[in-house]
Amino acid sequence: MIRETFVLFVRETKRWAGRRPVLVVSLVTPLFWVLLFGKSFNIINMVNLENLELPQEYYAIAVKIVEVIRLRIFEIFGSQDYFTYMASGMLVVITLFQGTFSGASAIFDKRLGYMTRLMAAPIRRESIYLAKVAASVFRALLLSLILLMVAYIAGFKFKEGFTVLDLAAAVTVVVLISLTFTSIFMVLGFVADSPEALFSVANLVTLPLMFTSSALFPVDQMPEWLRLIASVNPLTYASDLVRFFLIGKTVSDPWLTLAPLAAGSLITLIVGMKISVRALEA
Amino acid sequence: MAGASIEAIKLVKKFGQLTAVKGVSFKVMRGELYALLGPNGAGKTTTIKMLTTLLKPTSGEAYIEGYSVLRDTIKVRKIIGLIPQDLTADDEMSGWENVLIQAKLYGYKGREAEERARRSLEIVDLWEAAHRRVSTYSGGMRRRLEIAMSLVHDPQVLFLDEPTLGLDVQSRRAIWDLIREFKKNSVTIMLTTHYMEEAEALSDRVAIIDAGEIKAEGAPEDLKSKLGGDKVYIEALTLEDAKAVFSELSQRGFNVKLEDSTVIVKVPNAATSLPEMAGVLSERRVKSVNIVRPNLEEVFLELTGRRLREEAFDSFRFRVLSRKVR
Repeated sequence: MIRETFVLFVRETKRWAGRRPVLVVSLVTPLFWVLLFGKSFNIINMVNLENLELPQEYYAIAVKIVEVIRLRIFEIFGSQDYFTYMASGMLVVITLFQGTFSGASAIFDKRLGYMTRLMAAPIRRESIYLAKVAASVFRALLLSLILLMVAYIAGFKFKEGFTVLDLAAAVTVVVLISLTFTSIFMVLGFVADSPEALFSVANLVTLPLMFTSSALFPVDQMPEWLRLIASVNPLTYASDLVRFFLIGKTVSDPWLTLAPLAAGSLITLIVGMKISVRALEA
Repeated sequence: MAGASIEAIKLVKKFGQLTAVKGVSFKVMRGELYALLGPNGAGKTTTIKMLTTLLKPTSGEAYIEGYSVLRDTIKVRKIIGLIPQDLTADDEMSGWENVLIQAKLYGYKGREAEERARRSLEIVDLWEAAHRRVSTYSGGMRRRLEIAMSLVHDPQVLFLDEPTLGLDVQSRRAIWDLIREFKKNSVTIMLTTHYMEEAEALSDRVAIIDAGEIKAEGAPEDLKSKLGGDKVYIEALTLEDAKAVFSELSQRGFNVKLEDSTVIVKVPNAATSLPEMAGVLSERRVKSVNIVRPNLEEVFLELTGRRLREEAFDSFRFRVLSRKVR
């Protein structure tokens, strides 16, 4: 089964590589978010004293206040600059963007008859699903790394003492979260008959999932009810961990954050596989 | 039974309320070419899907080279080749890459996979275009590539679902020649088609299928001879003329039928019967006389009262095909 999965993984990846514009298009939206939104939302500049006309006697106090605010900002965002906070979250969100469209290839393979061909071949049905998931996760990871590279050029600040091991840990987190989203949306692709159904679900969930997590804004700043939603949103777990490894924003317990994320991705992968194989045989 | 390559026993497939296949049984001998001829929606593709283990029959059983399609699915899949109705090859890759992937999926590695991919492409005469992107292929080339993709494992039984759908005459002839080549190598072939010329030109035996049932089965020649010869369609100017022709011809012992203002005469041989009819025809106002030699279209009409329809229009597939085939 591993061999078949690998052969089909190569097919998926070659097809993707054969459509280079797709790569660019899938990078545009996340890049807009990071560069336009992330860069313009410049919190630290809001407490800039340089151009402020203040009575002399306030000045010393103002400097202290700014210092306090800066400390607070650092506490909230784990970084002096929102761009770094936000970009690290987008490394995770991009796997959601990529994941929501992963099921499309299953729908097109069904409609164009390639699935028929695979079903008539002496291969395990599971390998069809696994190859598609693996290829989609691979694409998401690649996009995520490209995004990180662009962010670095644009001024992303890694934590002090950042090593390759931290990067490897962050990659693992990105793979896990990508597995979760890809599995969920891949099932939709195997079950649904039309791409419209898939895309409407994708459109429906992307923004809410993004805003109810710590990807764009810290959970601590949210009202109670929103915090509750964020605490079950896998994006929160993944964003917190990626931030922990890349920029050093503290997480109460890294292992307790990682465990549910890993469990979630494993469960969605396996349940997704069962449902998809059953959908193929129906 | 010895020598039976495909054996279907009372195959039934229901989709909810709809019974797509209503208990079809047939046997195809080793090396034989068997065609399922019928209009779209007759149950041809569903039958093929059951025989190739893609669909579980609601009831009934089928054997491919003695292996059950219900229990020995993997064994069946190893010895069959399915050429689906659709164009499945990936546009973004070359023909070579497409075929090589198939060879690897069937478990061949390294040099052997490459050797088999090359041979498959040579058989369908695509070796020279093998390294071009599939998006540059013509419709006929794409069809041949589909066949090459299904040959990598030397299947003993080949299933072709509408192999020449939407092709021009020249490309169709090329596919027919290919199919005849396989037959020479004693591959058992089952094809579905709604083109009666195709069934007539290729098959040893034809099953005429309509609304999920086999209406007749036999060699094309036998089926046609059961029709009892030629038909002469005499179209009269008015209904009165038609009625007059009808009664006069039936008095002379002809086998006649009246449909609107057209008289249909069944004769063993139109060439010798026409002079005899000429006398009657010259006295009436007749618009046209048409002789139809027996063909499978006529057999189908005789059995079902309908003509083989054209493909139902599927806008999605149309767009995809028109994008791919240029």
